Amino acid sequence: MKMSLAQRVLLSWIFALIFLILLVLKLDSRIHWNWFLIFLPIWTFDSILILMLIVKMAGRCKPDFDPREGEQSLKRRLWYLTALLLKLAFCLTLCSRLEGHTKVWISVVCIPLWVLLGGALIELGYSVFHYRRD
Amino acid sequence: MLFSLRELVQWLGFATFELFLHLLALMVFSMLVALRVDEFTRELSWWLVFVPLFAADGLSTYFTAIVSIRLYQDNEKRLAVLRLLWVLTVLSLKLVCEVLLCQKLDQQEQAKDLWFGLIVSPLFILLQLLMIRACRVN
Repeated sequence: MKMSLAQRVLLSWIFALIFLILLVLKLDSRIHWNWFLIFLPIWTFDSILILMLIVKMAGRCKPDFDPREGEQSLKRRLWYLTALLLKLAFCLTLCSRLEGHTKVWISVVCIPLWVLLGGALIELGYSVFHYRRD
Repeated sequence: MLFSLRELVQWLGFATFELFLHLLALMVFSMLVALRVDEFTRELSWWLVFVPLFAADGLSTYFTAIVSIRLYQDNEKRLAVLRLLWVLTVLSLKLVCEVLLCQKLDQQEQAKDLWFGLIVSPLFILLQLLMIRACRVN
């Protein structure tokens, strides 16, 4: 299953739009929903992404899989999975902090986010400076 | 993950280095926000917290100007103008949103009538523009 760019953009666009609308309504106190409910588009989007990743990784178990091309992409997919889980952890702790279930510092809440951003920076930086050297 | 880097560069119209810059700014910004909210430092104003984002916008504008001038010199006039217009639109929408948000956070009482719907409205416009651009790139 390979989606075109427009389909993928549409998918993320819809979820981003719904989330932004809910966020604005909540911040302006028009609705008084639970924060976990406000983040519902994020949960849905993340679970779709994680499911797609798992399905792709499960494709390795097929009998006609060629292991020579898979090594690099497996590492990459494991990193993506970690990144998604980090994002999920950040959103969950943020929600429970906003709801007042815990009183931890925001600095602690942000640790998964920083790890995620650091990883993304390393990956991006590698591709930036790798191209430079070529 | 959902998009490859090449698709992102094509879709957003930013160079990889600019994406790197904005990500870095976001990271520093989130650290400053955490510092401010946890009240480790009392005298950190919200305008100071937003400095990394403003700096990234400024640098990005600078790079885009240079790239556009180079493209223009290489007789790629249409491409140069299109790129400049697109990046300036995106950056200015982002900047408006940041400035409004900063003002809202800085003056909790005076900015009562600045509701969040208004602050986020540039982002809504940006989302529509990105959608249109995605259709064109495809």
